[in-house]
Amino acid sequence: MLTRLFKDFKNGLWRENPIIVLVIGMCPTLAVTNTVENGLAMGIATSFVLLSSEIVISLFKNYIPNNVRIPSFILIIATFVTFTDYFLKAFFPDIAASLSLFIPLIVVNCLILGRQEAFASKNPTHRAIADALGMGIGFTWVLVVLSAMREFFGMGSIFGIEILGSWYQPMVIMILPAGAFISLGILVGIMNAIKRRGN
Amino acid sequence: MEELRVVVLVFISTVLINNFILVKFLGICPFLGVSKQVETAFSMGMATTFVMTLTAAATWLINTYILEAFNLPFLRYVSFIIVIASLVQFVEMFIRKSSPVLYKALGIFLPLITTNCAILGLALLIPLNGYNFITSVVFGLGAGIGFTLAIVLMAGLREKLEFGDVPETLQGVPITLILAGLMAMAFMGFSGLISI
Amino acid sequence: MDTKISKLVLTLTVIGIISAVALSFVYQWTNPHIQQHQAEARQRAIRAVIPEAEEFEEVEKKGNTFYEGFDSGGNRVGVAMIASGPGYQNVIEIMIGVNINEEKIYGIKILSHEETPGLGARITGEEYKSNFVDKPFGDYTVVKRDTQTDLEVEAIAGATISSRSVTKIVENAVKQIQDAYGGGA
Repeated sequence: MLTRLFKDFKNGLWRENPIIVLVIGMCPTLAVTNTVENGLAMGIATSFVLLSSEIVISLFKNYIPNNVRIPSFILIIATFVTFTDYFLKAFFPDIAASLSLFIPLIVVNCLILGRQEAFASKNPTHRAIADALGMGIGFTWVLVVLSAMREFFGMGSIFGIEILGSWYQPMVIMILPAGAFISLGILVGIMNAIKRRGN
Repeated sequence: MEELRVVVLVFISTVLINNFILVKFLGICPFLGVSKQVETAFSMGMATTFVMTLTAAATWLINTYILEAFNLPFLRYVSFIIVIASLVQFVEMFIRKSSPVLYKALGIFLPLITTNCAILGLALLIPLNGYNFITSVVFGLGAGIGFTLAIVLMAGLREKLEFGDVPETLQGVPITLILAGLMAMAFMGFSGLISI
Repeated sequence: MDTKISKLVLTLTVIGIISAVALSFVYQWTNPHIQQHQAEARQRAIRAVIPEAEEFEEVEKKGNTFYEGFDSGGNRVGVAMIASGPGYQNVIEIMIGVNINEEKIYGIKILSHEETPGLGARITGEEYKSNFVDKPFGDYTVVKRDTQTDLEVEAIAGATISSRSVTKIVENAVKQIQDAYGGGA
C-alpha cells in the first residue's frame, strides 16, 4: 500500500505535473511569478486549498449526489479559498497585497477542481492526501523555478537577495507580462526536451 | 458628459491597454486551449463576452444589495462563483436550444467557461474599482471584447503557423506561449494611449 | 436513475450553510487584524507626509476625506489626503501632506501604481518625490532638465507621462484642499 501511496505522490511531481504536462493553472503561473517570494507563496496557498479540499471531498464523497458534484466541489473549494484569503490578509498582509486578485482566483484554478473530479471523489482519503501533496509540490516547484528565472534576469535578485551587482542592467521585460509568457514557453520547451530524451 | 467619458475610457482601457489576457493574465487556459482555429476562437470569445457582461451586471447587484447591505464580504467568493456557474449553465441551455450547431462546435469548452479565471477576476475587479452599474456592465463588455480580440489574433497566428516549421520541442504549448509573449509586447504599445 | 431533486437541493443547501457559518467565524477572527493593518498602513502614510504630526484626525469636508495632523501641543500642523488619477498604465494613488498656513506641500507618498518597473515606477523613488518636498502651492510645469523655479517638476528620464500624471494628481489634490480649507490661514 505504501508503494501505491508513493506512486500517487510522485505522479504530480513530474509525470503528470500540472503546469508542464497537464497545462492547467496557467493564470497564477504567469501572473505571480515575478518574484520567488510571490511564486512560493502562491504555490503554498494553492497546495493548502488543494489538500484541504481533497481531504473533505474524499471523506464525504458518498454523501454528494452525482448530479450536483461539480457545484458542491466548487462551493467547498470556494470556502477554503475564502479562508486562505482572509488568513493571509490578517497575518501576512504584504504577501496578500502582492498576490492580491490571484488568491481568490485559486477558486477557478482548474488544477483544484480537476483533482477533485479525477481523484478525490473516487479514492480513499489517504490516497487523496498523497495526490494533493504531490500535485501541490509539483505546482509549487515549477512556480519557484519560473520565478527564479524571472526575478534573476529581471531584477538581479532571488528571493529579494541581490545576487548580481549594480553593474547589471536588468531585463525589465522579464517581470512584465511579455517576459512571463516567453519564460514559461521556454521552460516548458526545455521540460519537453528533457522528457523526450528520457523516453 | 463626465459619466460618458469615464465609461468610454474604461472600455478602451479594458480592451487594449489593460487587456485581460495579455496584460492582466486572466483567461490564459482557454487562450491556450481554444485558439487553434479562428472560427472556434471567435465563437468562444462571443460566448465568453456574453457571460462576462451578464456576470458583471449580476455580481454588481448581488454585491451592492446583499453583500454590502448586510455586511457579508466573506461570502463574496462563494456567492460570485455560484452566480457564474448558474449563468454558464443558463447560457449553455440557451445556446443548446437556439443553435445546436454552435453548441456542438463549442463542446466541452462551454461549461469550462465557469473555470475561466477571467470571469471571476472580472467580478472581483468591479467592487475593487468601485464602478457603478453602467460602468460595470461596460467593463464586462470590454473585458469580453478584449478577450475575444486576443484569442482571435492568436488563432489567426496559429493557423498560419500550421504551415511553418516549428522545432519539435517547441510544438504546442511552448510556441503558443512565446507567440503570446510577442503579442503582449505589441500590446504594450497601447500604454499611454489615453493621454491625460 | 435520477436522484430526487430534493436530495440535490438539500446537499447544496447543507454545504452552503456550513460554508456560510464557518466563514462568518473566520471573518470575525481575522477582521480585527485586517482592520488594524489597514489603520497602521494609513498612519504610516500620513506620518510620512506630515512629519511633525503626533496625532491625526479624520474629517469630512466638501465630500472629501482629509486627515488633519496635530503636534504634541495640539496645533494643527498639516492636512493630508489620498488622491488618485490616471497614470501611464493604470490609476496612481498617492497620499499628499500640506502645510495650509504656509501654503506649501510637505511631501507625497505613492500608495499604489502600475507603472513600468525601472521607468515610471521610479515615481516611488526619493529623487522624484523630492520634487514635491517643501513645494509652494501653484500650477506646476514638468521639465526635462534641472528645475529653475519652485513651480517646476523634474521629470524622470524616459518616464515623462508617469511624471506628468503624478504632478497633475498633486495639483488637483492641492486645489481640493485649498477649496475645503478656505485657501490658506
